[in-house]
Amino acid sequence: MAQDYDKPAKADGTEGEGSPSFPARRGVLMLGAIAASSVVTIRPALASTAASVLNCRIPIPDPGHSGQYIGHDGKLVDPGTKGAVAPPSRPVTGEEARNMINGISPPGFDPSSRSAYVNYIRRLQQGTSGFTCYASLQMPRG
Amino acid sequence: MAPPVYAADPPGARATIRLDDLVAVLHRPSGTTHLLAPPAPELLDALASGPASAEMLLGRLSQQYELIGSEMDAIVARMEELVAAGLAWRA
Repeated sequence: MAQDYDKPAKADGTEGEGSPSFPARRGVLMLGAIAASSVVTIRPALASTAASVLNCRIPIPDPGHSGQYIGHDGKLVDPGTKGAVAPPSRPVTGEEARNMINGISPPGFDPSSRSAYVNYIRRLQQGTSGFTCYASLQMPRG
Repeated sequence: MAPPVYAADPPGARATIRLDDLVAVLHRPSGTTHLLAPPAPELLDALASGPASAEMLLGRLSQQYELIGSEMDAIVARMEELVAAGLAWRA
């Protein structure tokens, strides 16, 4: 796993016990001032500006499953499956995805397909095309 | 009021890369990445053996490190940062 990077040799006289991924380096640890910050969270670049989030794209379905229909629950199904809807003719933008989640279909989209598309977007998982876009939409700005 | 007890996901939930004095941490459950400066990574690791109060964390760290500025307030401040970042929580 990723935390199995090269472990430095333990410093003299220090105990490595209880520290699986960070063996003592120098044996000295500065706890720092109360006001000093020690954690910085890096957000995906897409979340850094509202404009880029709204312009990112979510293909429905992802390119690996092109041609499949979207079931009402958002799962991908074979074309023609009863109750399933055809995929949209183009990927939706982040802004369109957000609007769809709020009940507004993009121009040219069949409004009755909206809930299936939204369910598909909600099911997106890491590694699926469009996930980062969807995740960025939900990330607090700041 | 009882002091807060902190907990964190097990080390396996994080991918870490040491960058000189900083540690880049990918928190897998949330998919977020963080840059941590000492003593935050050490505090996270000290939670690997189970939830702990600031006083217990101070005890665990002092077994491994010679602590400089070993005020409990500093531990609480760092832990609250880790909580705010989503890397730890109040158990």
